[in-house]
Amino acid sequence: MDRQAFRFARAALIVAVLAAAGGAAPASAAISGITGTTFNFTARDGFLANPDGSYIYFWGLADDGGTGEVQLPGPTLILSQGTMVTINLTNMLPEPVSLVFPGQEGPTQPVYDANGRLRSLAQEAAPSGGTRTYTFTAGAPGTYYYQSGTHLDKQIPLGLYGAIIVRPPIAGQAYADAATAYDREYLLLLADLDHRLSTAAESGLSFDSTDWIAGYWFINGRSATDTMSEDNVPWLPNQPYGAMVSMHPGETILLRVLNMGRDPHPFHTHGNHVLAVGRDGRLLSTGGAAGADLAEFHFTVPAGSGQTWDGLFTWSADNLGWDVYGHAPGDPMQVGEYAPDHGKAIPTQTPYLTSLQYGDLYSGSPLLGQTGPLPPDHPGLNQTGAFFYMWHSHRENEMTNLNDFPGGMMTMLAIEAPWVPIP
Amino acid sequence: MSAPMTARKEERALMRTRTAMTRLGLGLFLLCLALPGAAAAVNQLQCPNDIDKDPAGDFPGPGDIDHNGNGVLDVDPNAVCMWIQGGDGFVRMADGYTIYMFGFSPVPLALPEEQAQSYGALAANAPAPNIFLDEGQELYLNLGNTGFLVRLDVDDAHTVHWHGFPEQSAIHDGVPEVSPAPRIGTIFTYWYQAVRPGTYFYHCHFEAPEHIQLGMIGNLYVRPAQNGTDKEYPTGSGRHYNKFAYNDGDGRTGYNVEAALQVIDFDRYFHDVFMNVQPDPFYNSRSSYPLFNGRGYPDTIDTSPAGIENEVSGFRQPIHSLVEAVKGDRILLRLSNVSTNAHHTVQVLGIPMRVVAKDAKLLRGPTGADMSYMANSITFGGGEAYDVILDTKDVAPGTYFVYSRNLNDLNNYRQARGGLMTEIRVSAP
Repeated sequence: MDRQAFRFARAALIVAVLAAAGGAAPASAAISGITGTTFNFTARDGFLANPDGSYIYFWGLADDGGTGEVQLPGPTLILSQGTMVTINLTNMLPEPVSLVFPGQEGPTQPVYDANGRLRSLAQEAAPSGGTRTYTFTAGAPGTYYYQSGTHLDKQIPLGLYGAIIVRPPIAGQAYADAATAYDREYLLLLADLDHRLSTAAESGLSFDSTDWIAGYWFINGRSATDTMSEDNVPWLPNQPYGAMVSMHPGETILLRVLNMGRDPHPFHTHGNHVLAVGRDGRLLSTGGAAGADLAEFHFTVPAGSGQTWDGLFTWSADNLGWDVYGHAPGDPMQVGEYAPDHGKAIPTQTPYLTSLQYGDLYSGSPLLGQTGPLPPDHPGLNQTGAFFYMWHSHRENEMTNLNDFPGGMMTMLAIEAPWVPIP
Repeated sequence: MSAPMTARKEERALMRTRTAMTRLGLGLFLLCLALPGAAAAVNQLQCPNDIDKDPAGDFPGPGDIDHNGNGVLDVDPNAVCMWIQGGDGFVRMADGYTIYMFGFSPVPLALPEEQAQSYGALAANAPAPNIFLDEGQELYLNLGNTGFLVRLDVDDAHTVHWHGFPEQSAIHDGVPEVSPAPRIGTIFTYWYQAVRPGTYFYHCHFEAPEHIQLGMIGNLYVRPAQNGTDKEYPTGSGRHYNKFAYNDGDGRTGYNVEAALQVIDFDRYFHDVFMNVQPDPFYNSRSSYPLFNGRGYPDTIDTSPAGIENEVSGFRQPIHSLVEAVKGDRILLRLSNVSTNAHHTVQVLGIPMRVVAKDAKLLRGPTGADMSYMANSITFGGGEAYDVILDTKDVAPGTYFVYSRNLNDLNNYRQARGGLMTEIRVSAP
């Protein structure tokens, strides 16, 4: 319990500090990544800092045009539809590596050994300094990824992957269909790792992947509760992407859920359903002018291995039955408020402070954008009165860092009151 | 000594441990309750307009209040009041093993609040009490925290997370990191307006991987407002329904018989080491006892009203999973998976099945496209729910099985021919 409280406090501290500094929440509304037509990557090894105190050996990609730090996941490519992309890969790892681009059209140029056995799905960059150039055309809009095409069951879990986002010509939409418009977008790249593979690779030993049992789980390369820290925090130099999600009531956010792991991860979004409009970079549609007519609701997104899902999420306390702002009936309406509940009080009372345990991210008030009394030992981390919702794998075991709860594949959604700015 | 003999000896040893710990725990526990000032309860049971705590909290009785002074006691016929306690206990697996668990137990609303802890001691149920609501009802769900009779060192809180509740607030979402949760000896009240029909479920979210694995889950669904209207589906078929899974408009989710089947995996090793005050073994957690509604086959089809009895805490598994229908009926199965460690494929052998909803949403596209489909099975991970309708119109009377196609689920630990399985018995009209 004590350690749990500490960890949430550490993550939540950022919420508090930023809130005090300017009323800002830690998430940025745009997806961090790199744009362009030519990218120079280097495959290297490195270590991931985990909230359980361990450092996990991994193989990743570094953006030579950026910090040059090897990172998990690899740099997110944000591309315009139709872009001709060139990736120049330098390999500083001890074995050949390559890249393939699932969802993009065209053959992969496989490599066979002298006995005719498949060695790699794509042409390799030789170890210890070899280079290779890959090209593809960013096809249909959607969420995709790149990954190693060599020794897949070793190199992909070790970290040789990254997201690709292909944007349609119309800004602010996931697809050409206007029904996929959004106010903010977030990428949630899910992954898993058997730490014994990592240990073996660090020692140059082999690992029998048929014995796979994951012990660590990641969103955007980080385990909870580091998932809730900002992008590019200096204490996570090899894990630049945060996974905190923020929105205002009434907004629509686009979630790009991408499972790079070996295992399926049922991803549960507290607060509301996700309306899935695309899968594997294709609109859920009967085709043509029908639009996203096959869109489907999930309270748990069934993210299978290697699948990508594009979904829309909204929240406005619709039909909640009480006014989350605590308005009196005659008060003016708030932006995005669900009108029929205006002025209705919450039907229950909160008991005495001493009888309850208060989560570190509880504001002291049931109302949105307000704070209230908290026990003296409470850290008071929710200064903006945000509503927090846990988003996580509902294979609940995956909310751990090798036996340690909380951790793993978990992050939070913060719904901020309309007057609280979100960067 | 043979392996089975060794296993039996180990089991006897474990049982002795359990019995001893239970006696010790009960003594200390009752002592704590008796000591003045100890475990001081600041309870506050909240039911709508009903401070007399009559058994049916939504009916008028002495002590009810006339808030607006119109001479009529204020009673909201749409309000439902429930009281459950979170605590620990034991249940009996189908191979005879008595396993330690955390769980919720039902409490009569008339019980004096100061008796909640002794009433809830070792009362954990598998699964938690059913919550079945009608669309439009409000639920006042009072959650008390009994404490842990066998694990007196644990001071965990509990919560209720209504899994999948759309447009939820933070305070009633039941995530302890972001909301209040009742300490031992106290009560917190959740409130919900059930306006969106469908198959959900509920569970404790306190240290969720632990409390869910230990058993704090239950069935929860909302029946649609369309219930009670007569619809013929398909039109001209002569088949009429007045109960439906969803507000489908045309009766396509009409059914005659319904059953909620909830999947959870009990990891025997996890439960045993947890009871013996060891760190949680989340890594490589496996399913020793895959269960429908807290029981493995053939206990799933034991319809005795009191349920399954265990030697430590009595009858704590009241819900059977036998489905009985008459040929010609349509059967609605409300399937949910709350496993902490596995996906499952649940298959129905011999009755045509249509998948009509997922995650409490009718499989119907934004512009009305019918996305329901015929299948023999559904595959789902923890946190997912499906509604399927089985049509017995064209099948012969007999016994039909619902079972896991993950074949190693068909065991009660080392006992074969059990596990995640139940029966549908179709009788002649």
